[in-house]
This record gives sequence, structure tokens and C-alpha cells, in this order.
Amino acid sequence: MTYSFDFASVFRNLGPLWDGLLVTIQLTVAANAIGLTLGFALALLVMSRWAAIRLPVMLFIEFFRCTPAIIQIVWFFYCVPMLFNVFLGSVTMGILALGLNLAAFNAEAYRASIQAVPREQLDAGVALGLGPFQRILHIVLPSAVRNSVPVLLTNGIGTFQQSALVAIVAVQDLMYQGKTLATQTYRPIETFTVVALVYFAVSFPVSQVVGYLERRREALAS
Amino acid sequence: MPDSAPLVRIEGLHKSYGGVVKVLQGLDIEMKAGDRVVVIGPSGGGKSTLLRVLMGLEKIDSGSVSFAGKSYISADGGRTAIDAKVRRSIGMVFQHYTLFPHLSVLGNLVLAPMKVRGEKRAAAEERAMALLTRFGLAQKARSYPAQLSGGQKQRVAIARALMLDPKLMLFDEVTSALDPELVAEVEQVILQLAQQQMPMVIVTHDMWFARNIASRVIFCAGGVVVEDGPPEQVLGSPKGERTREFIERVFHIRH
Amino acid sequence: MTLDFAIVVKYQDALLLGLWMTLKLTLICILFGCVLGFLLALARTSSNVVLRGVSSVYVEFFRGTPVLVQLFWIFFCLPLVLGIELSNLASGVIALTLYMGAISSETFRAALKAVGREQMDACVALGLSPFARTTSVVLPQAVLRAAPTLLSNCVSLFKESALVSAVGMADLMFVGQNISNNTARPIEVLTVVALIYFAIAFPLTRAVTVMEGCILKKLAI
Repeated sequence: MTYSFDFASVFRNLGPLWDGLLVTIQLTVAANAIGLTLGFALALLVMSRWAAIRLPVMLFIEFFRCTPAIIQIVWFFYCVPMLFNVFLGSVTMGILALGLNLAAFNAEAYRASIQAVPREQLDAGVALGLGPFQRILHIVLPSAVRNSVPVLLTNGIGTFQQSALVAIVAVQDLMYQGKTLATQTYRPIETFTVVALVYFAVSFPVSQVVGYLERRREALAS
Repeated sequence: MPDSAPLVRIEGLHKSYGGVVKVLQGLDIEMKAGDRVVVIGPSGGGKSTLLRVLMGLEKIDSGSVSFAGKSYISADGGRTAIDAKVRRSIGMVFQHYTLFPHLSVLGNLVLAPMKVRGEKRAAAEERAMALLTRFGLAQKARSYPAQLSGGQKQRVAIARALMLDPKLMLFDEVTSALDPELVAEVEQVILQLAQQQMPMVIVTHDMWFARNIASRVIFCAGGVVVEDGPPEQVLGSPKGERTREFIERVFHIRH
Repeated sequence: MTLDFAIVVKYQDALLLGLWMTLKLTLICILFGCVLGFLLALARTSSNVVLRGVSSVYVEFFRGTPVLVQLFWIFFCLPLVLGIELSNLASGVIALTLYMGAISSETFRAALKAVGREQMDACVALGLSPFARTTSVVLPQAVLRAAPTLLSNCVSLFKESALVSAVGMADLMFVGQNISNNTARPIEVLTVVALIYFAIAFPLTRAVTVMEGCILKKLAI
């Protein structure tokens, strides 16, 4: 290979990359805020005993889970302004698209862990004389939330990675800045490698934490 | 094999985990061809480890084990040498069934004969069906382990071990995981084998079963043999203080 | 505003071609990716430190970076590194195969781990050789256990394959975006494209759930 590396061109342009990373983090944090709260609400709705509530919510969740994130984002950017005649800032649009996507995935995580609370636990609650509301508040929720933490973290960091997709609709995130820089400096290898490493540097520690939490839970369960 | 040679001879057997936790501390046991040995003793006393060593599932620190006059397990400078050919004469049944879940009952039985001895499928299946019929499991031949009760699974596990015509059977707490009402059907099968003079070593907590099946009882504690003799003596009027205490406690719990 | 879905029908041939490209790409990468993933899983559980180290770094890196970045890297940088031209299809196949390899290796690894120590004890007690142990006991159980997660990995790959549109491969997403730009009818076109993806992915995710139930029932001892 005859390519001569020149990482200096990347380091001369850390400013835009830094700005991009801030946008990426902003997208991630805000989308997670939506995902964690809306996801929980969706999980409760999807377990409703009324089909009129359950089915539309289920459809919403499945639609986000079963289509590519990129088409959700493109659809959002092109279609929402036309349909509703509004245009929010591009970052806001990105947050909404990513947030709804994450909410769908988190809803599944919440639902699975709520349904994983063993029946005996509820029986014990009845035996101890707790009312239905108390059983949910003191038995179901604490253990469901605790059980869903690893998946929520994984989904959250997934959204951090997915957020790179908004570069396609020209939101100036880390990926977008990297793409621009690569074209301007003719240094794609150095630029995309640095961009990849930045994403990795954030994702990897979180996935290690998830691994630790899961190992600890396995150890506690056995 | 000369008549005088013992079926199993264990000499100076030491086994520890990482040199720290000493599980077996110098066992010397000789077993004759007609013996049905029941090993009893407190948890952590080394009973199950002894069986696992005999099966060649564990590394040992020092000592040796021979079968029918041939040494097949020996400690050799930190390494454990195991003669797999001799080991094939020994069958073992575990506490947790360990059936292969992806194979039917019949598939479980014929796997080893086909793979180990190169037996033809048809011949192996014929023998397997005969064994299953004898154990009252013929109609379960095509079922999968997940569709069986614990007692049925354990009987299948015994049949699976018998497919290799073992000259010695090891039973490691085979009824401990069973619901009480399923224990008898498994013990019946083992008693049936005993009537056919199958040599066996049994680890069990079931003193009723121990008294019924044993020709000899070994009380193992702290990694050594504390008492060794006929069942009436070891279970009925033990000599050692520790044995008496243990047996009183166990019978007390059972009755 | 009025919606006119008839416009989509006019472009159905182009969309079908795009869909065909998407499916082709997905299937090729599933095939290569699963083989790669299985080898990676073996490497990650091997006793060789080098094999274990290299495979771990590989898997962690591909799981820890956006697929879009991986795709761009391979599309723009790999030709420079290797000094050869790569077609769009080749870059797409390489990128998605590497991605599928990384995610499926975790699936295989978990499945291999789930074949417990007790099963190995039983194999030894039955005198099975290491080869017979692997082919008759470990592998069939690992594949059974891995099957549902593997299928859901395939669905993920199918969805991620839409990313290749960003580097100009004419897949369903790319064709859809082009038509939507040319006709200025994004709502109709993009919605239909999304529905096509959904129509394929949704039944498959249901199948994952059904499969999980069956296999759990079969393997529960």
C-alpha cells in the first residue's frame, strides 16, 4: 500500500468535528428522553385490555421496529412538513424521528420485563394484602424497571449510532461534519477513521457497562 | 482377568481444586466384581467427586485407579492420564439426567453405540427398543426429553448408559432431582440391574434405598473413608461417632 | 392536499428492481455473514489468545460504530487502502457482511455457551470422541438455540441494507428516494416503500417469536 497517512489534516479541523459531536450528543440525549418516557407509556398502552387502544399502539410500535430507520428519518423530513404544514428546526426533526423510533424499541423492552415479573411475586403480594395498585407500584414496577435497564441502555446507545443517519438529511452532526471534511481535505481514510473511533469511544464503555450489569444479574440469579 | 483381581482398585487418591480446596485426601478402596457399593456421607464430603473421578471427568492430584487389573487413571506429574478405552467399560447416570435435548429418546440411546462402536443404526435401534420395552418406555421412543417426566428421563438416561454394555455402573444422586412420587420407578430399575449382578457404585441420600440395594456401604467424610462394611453394620450399628451422628440425623429427617 | 397513490403504480417496475437488489444483497450477506459469524464465535471462545484478541476487537468495533460509518469507510477508503476499484455492489456486500458477521457471532457465542458443562460430562461418560461431541451434540444444539436470534439478526440486516442507498447503490430505498424526488410525491412514494419493507420484516419478526416458543419448549429439560 502506497498511501501516506496525514492525520494532521484531521486534527487541524477538530473544531467542526467537535461541533458535530455536540449535535450528535444533543440528538442522542433528547431522543433518549423521549424514548424512555414515551416508550413506557406505549408499553402500558400496548398491554391494555381494550383492543381499540392496544391495536393502534401495537401497529405504531411494529411499524417503527420493522422498517429501516433511514426511511423513517427521510420520511419524517420530507413528509411531516407537507402533511402538517410545519417545519421545525432540522435538529428538532431529527430528535423527533430518532425519539419515536427509540420509543418503539423501548416499549418492547418495558413490556417484556413487565411480563417477566413472575406470577408468584404477584401472588405473594395478594397474600400480603396489597391492593392492585400497590402491587403494581411496589412489586411490578421496581423489578420491571430494574430488569429492563440493560436493554434500555443498549437501545439508547443504538440510537447514538443511528443518529448518524440524520447526516443524510443534512443535519450537521458528527457524521455530516466528517463527510464534509473528508471531501474538503481529500483525506477520507483519516477522517472516517477518526469519526469511527469517536463513535466507538462513546459506545464501547456503555456496552461494557451493559455486559457488567448482565453478568451481575446472572450471578445473582444463580 | 484373574479371579482374585478386584474389579476396581483405588490407590492413594488425592484431589483438590487449585491445591486449596482438598476434596479427596487419600482414598484406598477395593471393589470386588459382585459388589454393589453405596457411598453415603455429608455434602462436600467428596462422594460425587469420587464418582466423577472414576468416570474420568475430573483431574486428580495423585494416586491411581485401575479397572479389572488395568490402570486407567493416574496422576503423572501434574497431568491426569486417562485410558479412554478402559473407561468405556464404565457407565454413569447423573443427577440432572443430561439427556441430549435435540435428540429423541431413541436418538439418545443409539448415538453412542453408532459413534463409539460403529454399530449400524438398525442394530442399535433394535437393542434400544428391547431396553426401552424392558423399562416400560417403548411407547416413548419417539418422544423428546422435554416431553418426559423426571422419572422417565432418568430411566432413559439409565438405558442410554446400558447401551454400551458397561461392566460397572455409577449412579450419582440419580433421584435427588425427582419429585418424591417418581423416585420409586427409578429405584425399581436400578434394583432390577442389581438382581442381574451388575456391579455398581451409588451415591444417594436415600437411606431406605441404600439399605435395600447395597452389598457394602462406605461412609465418606472430609475426603476420606470413615467407615466401610456391610449395610446392616454401617447403617444399623455404626462404629464411628461421626457415622452414627450422620445416620441418626438423616434417619431422623426421613421419619 | 390530495394524495395520489396511483403514481406509485406507474413506477412499480423500478421499485421491484430496487426490491430485488435489496433482497439479493441481504441474502448474499446473510450467507457470508453467518459463516463469518460462526468462525468468529469459535475464535472468541478459543484458547488461543491471539485469535481471541483479534476477534474480540473486531466484533466490539463493528458493534460500537454506526453501520453508516462502516459503509462509508469501506466505500471511500477501502479502494484507497487496497489500491483497487470496488463496485458499489462489492462495497455494499463487504460492509454488510462484516456487519452481519459481527452481530451473528454474538448469537453463535451465546448459543455455544448455552450448551452446558453437564452435556459435555454426558458425552465423556458415553465415550464420545471430541469430534462426535462437536458434530452430534454441540453443533446441533447451538444451531437450534441460535436459530431465532439469527433470524432476527437477518431482519436487522435487511433493514440496515437500506443504508447502501447513501453510497448510490440502486436498492429499494435508493429507487424510492429517486422517484420521490423526481415526482415531488414523497408522501405516496416513501410511504409505499416503507410499507414494502414492513411487509417483509413484520412477518419475519413474528416468526422469530413463534420459533423461540417452539425451541424453548423443545430444549427445556
